[in-house]
Amino acid sequence: MSTELIKVTINEQEFEVEKGAKLIEVCREKGFGIPSFCYYGDLALQASCRMCLVRIEKMPKLQTSCTITCTDGMIVTTQSEEIEKAQRAMSEFLLANHPLDCPVCDRGGECELQEMVMDWGDLEERFVERKNAQPEKFLSPIVANDPQRCILCKRCTRVCDEWMGEEAIEAGNRGVNTVIGTYGGWLGCSQCGNCIEVCPTGTLLDGVYRHETRPWEMDQTRTTDVYSSDGMQLSIGSRGGEVHRIVARDRYVNGLNGEFLDVKARFAHGFINSKDRIKTPLIRYKKGGKLIPSTWDEAIHFVGSKLKESGNNVGVVASSRLTNESIFTLKRFATEAVNSNNYAVSDAYDLAPFFDNLSAPLCTHKEIRHAKTILLIGGEPEEEQTFTAKQIRQAVRNGGAKFIVVHDTPIRLAAQASQFIHVNKGSLDAFALAFADQSDATITKKLGAAQTEIDDLLKTIGETEGDFIIMFGGDLSAEAQAVLANVAGSFASDTRRALLHPLPLYNNSVGANDMMAGKKPLEEVLRTSKALLIAGSLPEDKTDLLANKDFVVVQELFETATTEYADVVLPAASFAEVDGTFTNNAGFVQRVRKAIEPIHQSKPDWVIASMIARELGADFGYNFSSTMVFKAIADSVPAYEGLRYPLLKDESKPVQAKYSPVAKRDLSNEFAALRRKVEALPETSEKITETPRVGHKLHRVTTMTGKTDQFHLLAAGNPKPENLLVSPLVQFNLDGTPRLVEMAEAASVNVKDRIDDKETVASKVVLK
Amino acid sequence: MEIKAIGCEPLQLKRVGMKDSHTLKVYQETGGYESLKKAMNMTQDDIINEVKASALRGRGGAGFPTGMKWSFVPRQSPKQKYIVCNADESEPGTFKDRYLLELDPHSLIEGMLIAAFALGSQACYIYYRGEYRYLIDIMDKAIEEARAANLVGKNILGSDFSCEVYTHTGAGAYICGEETALLSSLEGYRGHPRMKPPFPAIEGLYASPTVVNNVETLTSVPQIIEMGGEAWKKLGTEKSGGTKLWSVSGHVKKPGVYELPMGYADMEKFIMEDCGGMRRPDKKLKAVIPGGSSVYIMNAEQIIGKNVTLDYEGLVEAGSMVGSGGFIVMDETVDVVESTKNLTEFYKHESCGWCTPCREGTDWLVKIFNRISIGEGRPEDAQLLLDICDNIEGKSFCPLGDAAAWPIQSAVKRFPEDFKKWLLNKTNDNGYTANV
Repeated sequence: MSTELIKVTINEQEFEVEKGAKLIEVCREKGFGIPSFCYYGDLALQASCRMCLVRIEKMPKLQTSCTITCTDGMIVTTQSEEIEKAQRAMSEFLLANHPLDCPVCDRGGECELQEMVMDWGDLEERFVERKNAQPEKFLSPIVANDPQRCILCKRCTRVCDEWMGEEAIEAGNRGVNTVIGTYGGWLGCSQCGNCIEVCPTGTLLDGVYRHETRPWEMDQTRTTDVYSSDGMQLSIGSRGGEVHRIVARDRYVNGLNGEFLDVKARFAHGFINSKDRIKTPLIRYKKGGKLIPSTWDEAIHFVGSKLKESGNNVGVVASSRLTNESIFTLKRFATEAVNSNNYAVSDAYDLAPFFDNLSAPLCTHKEIRHAKTILLIGGEPEEEQTFTAKQIRQAVRNGGAKFIVVHDTPIRLAAQASQFIHVNKGSLDAFALAFADQSDATITKKLGAAQTEIDDLLKTIGETEGDFIIMFGGDLSAEAQAVLANVAGSFASDTRRALLHPLPLYNNSVGANDMMAGKKPLEEVLRTSKALLIAGSLPEDKTDLLANKDFVVVQELFETATTEYADVVLPAASFAEVDGTFTNNAGFVQRVRKAIEPIHQSKPDWVIASMIARELGADFGYNFSSTMVFKAIADSVPAYEGLRYPLLKDESKPVQAKYSPVAKRDLSNEFAALRRKVEALPETSEKITETPRVGHKLHRVTTMTGKTDQFHLLAAGNPKPENLLVSPLVQFNLDGTPRLVEMAEAASVNVKDRIDDKETVASKVVLK
Repeated sequence: MEIKAIGCEPLQLKRVGMKDSHTLKVYQETGGYESLKKAMNMTQDDIINEVKASALRGRGGAGFPTGMKWSFVPRQSPKQKYIVCNADESEPGTFKDRYLLELDPHSLIEGMLIAAFALGSQACYIYYRGEYRYLIDIMDKAIEEARAANLVGKNILGSDFSCEVYTHTGAGAYICGEETALLSSLEGYRGHPRMKPPFPAIEGLYASPTVVNNVETLTSVPQIIEMGGEAWKKLGTEKSGGTKLWSVSGHVKKPGVYELPMGYADMEKFIMEDCGGMRRPDKKLKAVIPGGSSVYIMNAEQIIGKNVTLDYEGLVEAGSMVGSGGFIVMDETVDVVESTKNLTEFYKHESCGWCTPCREGTDWLVKIFNRISIGEGRPEDAQLLLDICDNIEGKSFCPLGDAAAWPIQSAVKRFPEDFKKWLLNKTNDNGYTANV
């Protein structure tokens, strides 16, 4: 947007605004309220709700301010009798067929229609006719739909199309019979729930939260997503120590993701208050015996005495789901309490090669949205880093960005790509080598792609003016990551910025890498230690390494495969019960805030580690305040220098850790190792031609997501129930098999059982 | 069913009534495609200027000057330009284009080709109303005939001007007669109107410069080229040139399609003499909708003895509009409440549902009329109807909202007696009393 200023007169006051600014935005910015429903900043214009009408001089009719671009000398009136009448009229129209039973509507209290009518509408209702009625139904296990509340602003369909690229919901029928519906009557999408989020009324409803409580009864806590590495900001709605709902609605939280969340971030919060949470410390006094509930005092004392026996043969493993505070404390526990260098992160994807060779700045999500060229090597952002995927889609769709995908699988996002280099199965490393070392043309054989494809790619990058972003994740070997991170900086020029974007899998993978400088590979730690302190569970394929250990302490929320080997299990608090920080894949250090008190007797991981440390005679000086832990982090981790909680307070202005690009290192060892790997690749490798199904990673049932029943149905293929009026949770077992009796009962539920709109007004009169 | 010209030589209806008038042979024998040849020897600007000089106004209903519309097209744009013929003639009471499409398809092709030549377009689309699907073969055959005679397709008449003509049908939605909704439908999307600006002349079909013209507008073009813009204009009035087709229906002896010069005087004579007068001589004239259902309804006092001229200005002065020329005459047996209810149901059914006022407003209006029609009317309903119409008018996304509001506004204002009967006495002329 140009910075040229033009003069606009609004309500007889003159303002200087940027040329090309949207009138509705200008008016709102200058303090003139304008109501609207269908206008939504980042979406295509709709101009259908007709709420934002204003009078512009020299224009014949009232104009919708959302469609007007400011021009020099424009004279605008936003308040007059005529405009107020129009606004009252539109709200009257919207309410005509809208049920006025707000007290039983889930959105009541935070409904935009309610607000608009209170602010701009008429309180007297002239509509005395019978309202058009439709039954409430389910569009998926997670999305409930009450069509009669719909005001057809179509934010949901636009979000589905523009943000998600799924086009799963669309308007059907015509005129007053228009309804928002799905193709085939069932939502087979990724269930991101963004349609629910942007819905201004109670039309699309959160099927997990539905009817649990009223919005105003909940405390809203701004915090950070515990699933994806994008670090999406969200608001936890809790009441009486129970988490009921998660939203990103901007009245509560205004983070980097706007109102965007994905299915896990939004719906998979059932684990927090799950009945399966470990309630007290548990001790297995004898190998092979039972875990017996205990008190904290006894458990800590028991752990302390046992660890003392193991001397410095104690290994420490932290999960990359934990807060920076917890991971940092666990590292200190290793180095200070048990004098051991045996500490590791339980995430298989090690970010160290990436950050140790960082030759270009990390890019923010905003920069992805406005990038000119994006190169994605491996990974599957639409399943794993959903917000990154959304930013890519919008960059391509709205910003005209060039998007190049290099992958062995035709992922769904590749459909948006301007160039898709389809490489042989498992040969992404070869691409990294070919990309970094363009002199060796023989690599393309292993790659299964023509040299011209790589030439085209390099040509596109060469022509880019603006931001060029390279993204890659754990599909590549450590050497390939090092090489790519190292070579990225060389693509920068006077008119082009090269930026890097890692695609780790967990919410705090980046933070874990920062906190655990000098960490060892997980397997090495597991093999060499006699005793282990494990915070969070290990990947399932690693748990058998715990057999025959002298002593294993596990800090967990749930009993898992790892706790089966534990001698002591200590109940840890979930992300909703702790204060702390996560670092996302853009390097933003973002706050995690305590929404509810720790459930049962659980404690934050860092508190547990400090307690054991104190038992062992090491005091970290935290005074059990997470502020102090973070201060200690800021003092010892260079990238976090000077950071304090108050600086991280405003989620709309996230603070990036200061990763300084390193000087180009000599990577001949890595190159050699990579070349060997590539040479070991088979000469004729097959290609994967099948596009993975929607949600194949998002809908996986894990320890955490599995505590939300709906995820089992999604993972079981999201079966369509017999009768959409009855919840699928009733009609199916969680493994997706039909519950025949219930299905038969559901089938007998008729629309007429819910509403009786079949009679016309006329027949009603005759009946009298 | 009368099809004839009154007060002028038949131009639009020149070939209607001839045997095999739809064939190229008859068309060429009667001077067809001569205008195209003439136009192809003119410059693009000259053609547009002729059309401008003719004061031809769009015959679809809005009456926008055609020459001006053409001149908005950026001819230097590298994008393809499109000529789209709006043959989605769905305005209730209008059936003039049907006869042109059926009986004189070549004049439309010729008109489109001239427009395409003038605007540098290589593709023309004829968008048929869904219910006119049965007419499409006639046009397809005519296009094939013209192609065989090197009048359509590559290097027309040996020149380097190439142009294709395609036919396409809608699925029967009234809204697709609105030009931007037509373009959406033509592109294969839902027939929803689009935001203006950008106007179709700048970004229309496939986001390229597009001219959307009514059938009758385009069939006028060969006549204008043939006789010259000024001469054509002189057939009509200073501001509305040429002749216009009127689709006359209702309680007259001789309903049909009439070609009248613009400014024909007067309306009363037209109904009482040219159309043969009232069908039942003992029943008096009660109401006339002169321009298709979307214009203001007129009562007898506005017509009888008022010397209303049939042109854009004359009808506006008399309190209505030319619209699409769907001339509906009603005698005193008609209950205007019932006829308006019928129209309102049409608009509710055809509202596309995009914008709030039209979607909810028309539904509400129908519900009120339903209530009135079962004798549940209340005196305040008249004011309520006017209020709702006022809230729809000028606030909807496309002109369909206005079109739904105007007939009701004028009916309530101009036929208060009919409404009083229903709202106060809860009965109508036929002695029907509601079952209350």
